[in-house]
This record gives sequence, C-alpha cells and structure tokens, in this order.
Amino acid sequence: MSVDTPEGVGNRIRRLLPSSATDIGVVLVLPGLVLFSLFMLFPIAFLVYLSITDVSRAGDVIGIFQGEASIVWFANYLELFADGEFWNSIGVTWLYVGVSLGLKLVLTLVIAILLTHDRVAGKRYMRALVIVPMGFPPIFVITIWRAIFSPAAFGPFNRLVSAYNDVVIGLAELVDTIAFFVALRAPELLLVDVPVNWTGGRWAAFFGYVVTETWLAYPFMVIIVVSALQDVPMELHDAAKVDGAGYLNRLRHVTIPAIKGPLVFASILTAATSFQNFLIPWVFNKGGPGRSNELLLVYGYREARVFNEYAMSSAIMVVAIGFIGLFMWLAVKKTNLADGV
Amino acid sequence: MSTILDAIADLRAGRRSPVDVAKSVLTTGVAVGLLLLLLFPVYWIVTVALSRGTTLSSPGSLFGDPAAYTLDSFRWVLENESFRRGLLNSLIVVTVTVTVTLAFSIPGAYALSRREFFGRRKLLYGYILFTQVGAGLSIAVLIALYALFSGIGLTNNLLVLGLFYAAGAIPFNTWLLKTFMDNIPVSYEEAAIVDGASQWQVMREVILPLAKPGIAAVLVFAWTAGWNEFIVAQTLIHDPDLYPLSVELYGLIDDRRGTSWPQFAAFALLFALPVAIIYFLAQKQVESGLSFGGMEG
Repeated sequence: MSVDTPEGVGNRIRRLLPSSATDIGVVLVLPGLVLFSLFMLFPIAFLVYLSITDVSRAGDVIGIFQGEASIVWFANYLELFADGEFWNSIGVTWLYVGVSLGLKLVLTLVIAILLTHDRVAGKRYMRALVIVPMGFPPIFVITIWRAIFSPAAFGPFNRLVSAYNDVVIGLAELVDTIAFFVALRAPELLLVDVPVNWTGGRWAAFFGYVVTETWLAYPFMVIIVVSALQDVPMELHDAAKVDGAGYLNRLRHVTIPAIKGPLVFASILTAATSFQNFLIPWVFNKGGPGRSNELLLVYGYREARVFNEYAMSSAIMVVAIGFIGLFMWLAVKKTNLADGV
Repeated sequence: MSTILDAIADLRAGRRSPVDVAKSVLTTGVAVGLLLLLLFPVYWIVTVALSRGTTLSSPGSLFGDPAAYTLDSFRWVLENESFRRGLLNSLIVVTVTVTVTLAFSIPGAYALSRREFFGRRKLLYGYILFTQVGAGLSIAVLIALYALFSGIGLTNNLLVLGLFYAAGAIPFNTWLLKTFMDNIPVSYEEAAIVDGASQWQVMREVILPLAKPGIAAVLVFAWTAGWNEFIVAQTLIHDPDLYPLSVELYGLIDDRRGTSWPQFAAFALLFALPVAIIYFLAQKQVESGLSFGGMEG
C-alpha cells in the first residue's frame, strides 16, 4: 500500500462516513462487527497481552491495570517450550487428529460407497438414518459414549471385549481339539484383561476418545462424500469396465480421484474440528489419567482453571489460536469459499 | 417392499440369475448391519431410559428386560426441579442468542450482499476465515473472558452467556445469510424502487420475505448453538440456580456415588429431543447451511 497523502486520508475518511444512502452499508454492517470484535477479537488481543505477563489468579487480572502483575515478555513462552508436558500435549493432539481422521475416512468411504451402491435396496432411507447422530447435541453424544466406555465390569464396551475374548478362547480350543497333538491354549497376546479401565488407562482412554470423535464427525463427512459419489459420471465406470478393470481397480483409479476434492475439503474441516476438541477428553476423564491425554485446549484450560496459572494458560491458548489460524487459512485456500469475494 | 416383489418376479421370469439376486441381498444385508452397529448407542440409550435400575455393574441384559420397561425415569425427569429450572435457563439463553443473532446478522448480510462500502471485501474475507473455525476459538478466548468477567462481575449472567454465543457466530451466520441474499434477483428491488418504494420498504418487503429460508437456517443454527453449548456455560455460570440444561446433564454423572443410568438417559433424551426435532423439520435448511460454498471444491 502506498503512503497516503493528506487528501488521500481525507478521501478515505469521507468514504468511511455514511455520507449518503449508498453508504448505509457501513451502518448496517458495523453493529455485528462491533459485537463480534467485543467478544472475540478483543479477547484474543487480551489473551496475547496476558501471555506476556506473570498474572496467576483470575482475580489479579483486573489488577494488572493497577500494576499488580508485571510484564515478563517471552518468559512464559520460553518456559512453555522447555516443558515436557506441553510437548506431550502437542503430540497427543496431533496423534488424535491423525488417528481419528484415518478412521473417519475409512468408515466414511465404506458407508458412502455402500449407501450409493446399486445393489443396496432402500439406500435412501438408510442415508437419512445414518446421519442421525448429527442432530444430537455433542454433550449428549459424549456423555453417552462415556457410559459405553464405562470402566464397570458390565459396561457396554467391556462386554464387547469379553465377548471378543470368548471368541479367541473358543477358536483356540477348536484348533486344540482338531490338532490334538499340539497343546494349544489361547495366546495371551490376543487376550485383553477385562474389565478394561477405560478412564484410568492412558491408551484405553485415548482409544475411547478416538472412537467417540469418529462417531461424532462421520455424518458430516458422509453427507459430503455421498453427494460427491452421486456426481461421478457412470460413463467413467463403464469405460473402466470395458477396459477390464476390477472393482478395486475402479475404486482406486476412478472413484477416489473423482471425489478427491470434496474428500480433501471434508478432511481439512474435520481435522480442524478435532484439533480443537475439548469436550471429549474433558467429559471422559479431564484429559487424564494424570495429565497424559490433555489435548491442547484441555491443557490450556486446566492450567488456568485448575492450577491458577493464567499467564501460562494464555500462552498455551495463543499457541492454539496460531494452529487454528493455520487451519482457517488452509480451509479457505483449499476451497472455493472465498472465490466470490 | 416393491423391490423385493420385483426381484421375485425377475427371478421367476428368468431375467435375473439367483446369484445376482443373492449378491444384492448380501450387500443390502451388509449395509443394514453396518447401520445397526452405528446406531447402537442411540438404541441402547433409549432402552436404558426405559429400564429399571442400573445395567452397567450387573451381569443382566444390556438392554434391561423389555417386559419391565417403564416411563418412570421420564416422569422423574419432568417432575425434577433441576430439570425445570435448567429448561427455563436454557430457554432464556436461547432466546437471547436467537434475537441478537437475527438483529445483527440480517442487516449485515444485506449490506454485504447489496451495498458497496469501504473495506467490504476485506471484511467479507475476514468473516469467511472465521466461518471455518469450530468451538475451539471460543474456548481459547474463554480464558481471557473469564479473567475479565470475574473481575467486573459479569459471570453468573444468562444474558451475557446468550450474547457470547450470538457474537461468536456472527461471521458464520452473516455469511450464510449473505449467500442466500445473493441469489435474490436485483431486478425485484429495482421494480420496487420504480414503484416508489423507499430503501427501508425494499428491505422489509422484498428482501426479508425472499430471504426466509436463509433466515430459517440461521435461526436453527443460533438456536442449537445456544441450546447445546456446555463448557462456556459451565465456566461462566457458577450459581446452580442458573445452570442451563447441558450443565445439569453433565452434573448427573456421578462417579463416586454411581450414576443412575435410567434417569441420566431419560434426562439426556429429553434434552436432545428438541434439537433432533428441529433438525428433522429443517433438514433442508440445515444441509444447505452445512454445504454452502466449498462443496464442489
């Protein structure tokens, strides 16, 4: 942008002011913008400010203006980056994003391909049913999944694990009876200790998070992928069939490339949402056991509300906002959302 | 049903081979099986709400005894003081959110769709950036807001809570409504102006009625946002008398004394029911809202 001359500034200000009926746009748009700035943009700025102070309790924050807390510049960030807990949180968060995205993609593709398949009868009704979870409040869904992953001996998922154990043992016995000359017992490696402590074990809890996240997010992806699949031209499939391509080959070389765009779009959005997930770890076990499964936002939140480290928490949140900003930029860059602007 | 009859007729007439029909039956079976598996949590929570006693620490059937199903848990919830109070609080929050959202996003959307003004393109781009962000930003700024609010006494206030939900979703709702308004032909407005309508009349009598589907979508989103949200409410509201339903629901989980699962399930279902009904009734609007832009990416 060039340096403004006094006249230039004057013109810009004149254009800013609602001088005529055509400038009424500013007046209409301003209230919303002010409200949004007040509750979103201003707190972000305040968060950045807090992160360079040494404020600890929430009550002290207002005291900042009276000089009770002092500015320590980047000391919080330096301390944070030297802290193993921070890197653990970053690692767990990305692992969570990656694993759940993989699971969601597989599940979504299976559902979407089945529910657009020629051989499936009544697929329209099934498509309406399969996205039902989207109509539920997240806190409702998550508390139910927490009940499913109850550590109680007869919690639903523990029953499933027991049933799996029975199958493994049964199979081993079967092999044992047939091949009577080898003494075979159920291989310990394949068995799971029941009841599994879903909230107390680190990876057990992580598994619970990922399953819940997948269930929460798949309807959104199914909607996008189903509508993309319906747009794949039949001619492409027919041509591939003529060339002798089998089902898997057609899937790899016709279907997937044809729906790649929407798939990328859905993946970015859902990855962004799961990166920001707070409720699942919070409701399951507050990011526990201990602090081992704290996703980034849970880590920042607990630092402030449980440990009364507001400055440190603000630094963590600023880092989180940085990542969220990257996702925002990526989403707009990779889609045509902003094309009309 | 007709599919099955057709298949039988085709088989008899020899138009389809039995193997072909078997393949179709099998794939349909797989699809139905997968669907049942995915919807297990829904089915389970309904049976838990209908059954008596807890079913998590006893070896009985996971779904209780169908012969002993009862509506007692639902009756308990409806007669429960905290449910009624929570319902009232939730309704207050939602009313504020919906009113503020509509009041601030309709004029903004109109201006962005129809007017040229300084910084319009930049503002639009900024709004679009913020449409791509989930609840995470709210939680991040919540720390700063809590620090501020607890200092100046704005916690424990349902109006502030409703306002916060509305404010955070301004970019999304304004942008969504703007894309709806973009599809209203300008010629309608020109015709109205030729007929002597004022600016205000054009907005009220041309744009507003034609933007109804968009306004309905925004209404649904604002309503569900206010109804569903949990963590901001739990952080900003400390007074149990002011808890909205989402916070009350979470409070029913009691690890120490044991949760009463039937009561919890009934509470959860009654809490989720309005949202599910609204989603069902407004499915078209919701989907167009979810799928706007980007979809063809």
